[in-house]
Amino acid sequence: MKNKSQSLWGDAWRRLKKNRLAMFCLGLVIFFTLLAVYGEIVYRYYEIKDVASPYSLTNLDIAYEAPSSRHWMGTDGLGRDVMARLVQGVRIAYKVGIITSMIAIPIGVILGCLAGFFGGKVDDFIVWLYSTFASMPGLLFILAIAMVVPDQGLLGVYLGIGLTTWVGLCRLVRGEVMKHKEQTYVQAAKALGLGSGRIMFKHILPNISHVIIVTFSLRFPAAVGTEVIMSFLGIGVQGEPSWGLMIDSARMRLWQGMWWEMTFVTIALFLLVLAFNLLGDALRDALDPRLND
Amino acid sequence: MDKLLSVEMLNVVYGKGKDSVHAVKDVTFYIKPGEIFGLVGESGCGKSSLGKAVIRLTDPTSGTIDFNGTDVASLKGKALKTYRQEVQMVFQDPYGSLNPRMKVGSAIVDVLQVHKIGNNTMERRARVTELFEAVGLEPDWAWRYPHEFSGGQRQRICIARALALNPDLLVADEPVSALDVSVQAEILQLLEKLRASRQLAFLFVSHDLAVVRNVCDRVAVMYNGEIVEMGNVADVIDNPQHEYTRKLLEAVPSF
Ligand SMILES: Nc1ncnc2c1ncn2[C@@H]1O[C@H](COP(=O)(O)OP(=O)(O)OP(=O)(O)O)[C@@H](O)[C@H]1O
Ligand SMILES: [Mg+2]
Repeated sequence: MKNKSQSLWGDAWRRLKKNRLAMFCLGLVIFFTLLAVYGEIVYRYYEIKDVASPYSLTNLDIAYEAPSSRHWMGTDGLGRDVMARLVQGVRIAYKVGIITSMIAIPIGVILGCLAGFFGGKVDDFIVWLYSTFASMPGLLFILAIAMVVPDQGLLGVYLGIGLTTWVGLCRLVRGEVMKHKEQTYVQAAKALGLGSGRIMFKHILPNISHVIIVTFSLRFPAAVGTEVIMSFLGIGVQGEPSWGLMIDSARMRLWQGMWWEMTFVTIALFLLVLAFNLLGDALRDALDPRLND
Repeated sequence: MDKLLSVEMLNVVYGKGKDSVHAVKDVTFYIKPGEIFGLVGESGCGKSSLGKAVIRLTDPTSGTIDFNGTDVASLKGKALKTYRQEVQMVFQDPYGSLNPRMKVGSAIVDVLQVHKIGNNTMERRARVTELFEAVGLEPDWAWRYPHEFSGGQRQRICIARALALNPDLLVADEPVSALDVSVQAEILQLLEKLRASRQLAFLFVSHDLAVVRNVCDRVAVMYNGEIVEMGNVADVIDNPQHEYTRKLLEAVPSF
């Protein structure tokens, strides 16, 4: 017996652990995730108690206070604590990242599998479909969808981003499935009478799951960035603090020297995007056996 | 004389128009129950294409494939799935034949489930144990991943998987050519044993005449998509009629 008992993921984890930058990014991602969970708990708490949350109470007496020991990141134009709002903003950012992924990833995976596995006319149609999507200017399309969806705050943002960002994953999955379809284990599965759906989703999909994980880690921060742009443009969240809204309100006073809100939100966004991107890249390398040892 | 498989005027053409490849041309042969029927020929002569047509991984362009009295050449859907229980295949490459992300026993349980063999997972796992014993593997090994096995062990697993549906005919496409010589002999012995214990017939594809001589009852020599000579192994190898067969034999020093 060959005693090489490491699985693909076990191997990847071993390599990832040696990469200090990747581990630092993983720490950051975990930190942000905990903040998001904390933000959700705080939000629910005040919702159940049915009182206004402290981070949205306005107090004009303390508007535009610079960072101090009472307000570490200062206050905004309505006297609200920037740090508390920044933390609540993580919650919205994660919601956007996760919900849009739950729309885009299934579409990309299912269409990619169908195209790669069946080929022929099915493939032609799906390639045509994603080429059409890819040729449209993304942000305009997202804005159009968000406009069409009746108010409902973030729903338009979710759908807009979700329905436009599946193309890259679909392409990747299609290519991977085409490769696997030719392998003997798939031929054997066909000869054994397994159905196409079973072969695609139970047998091939686990072999390409790394593509999906890596895609998720790369598209998550992109979706957060898009939410920021959309909130900034006035579409999306109302009421709850999001980073887009904060940047939008902060930009008004930036030239008067009220630098703190803009600065801290930008740093947070930068760190989140960077952490996910670097971790995603490291994961992709760690999962590629040709690049290692 | 009863025949298990009877192939008549079978053609396989890949693609259309100018770029098409006529891989199998007007091939006719039969296999009796429990017989090991060899198919030899140089690389690219159409052996795998013929084997895949018989097991219906490739659609034949024309001709009939009679299996136990039914023409299976154009079976579809449910009927084709039933045919899968009669004919199975073992492939040349034991490394690519197993799903790297699935425990080898789970892959067999999956097959049993799809064909509704056994009432529950317990019964199916018990069947996996039987199959592993039948091919000479430790039953406990069924719950490991493919990368933990050697080539010969993998080929045994592939044979166990093919036997799961209790087929009457096994298409073995160069089942030992990727293995070390010592391991080759063990796998060939296993195939002989299965023939004896299960009345299993084989379409045994090989380019190794020594192996064919050892294990096959009858043999067909394929050249450029056509069968140019066919008969009992001893007759064909000791007294070849066709010029191409003689050339094939000359290329092997031991004959
Ligand atoms: N899917 C396919 N599409 C197009 N042409 C094919 C396909 N499969 C095989 N061929 C061609 O058909 C011919 C016969 O191939 P086949 O694989 O049946 O030969 P073989 O005798 O099994 O060869 P080998 O000993 O190398 O396995 C070759 O010319 C091959 O290139
Ligand atoms: Mg071949």
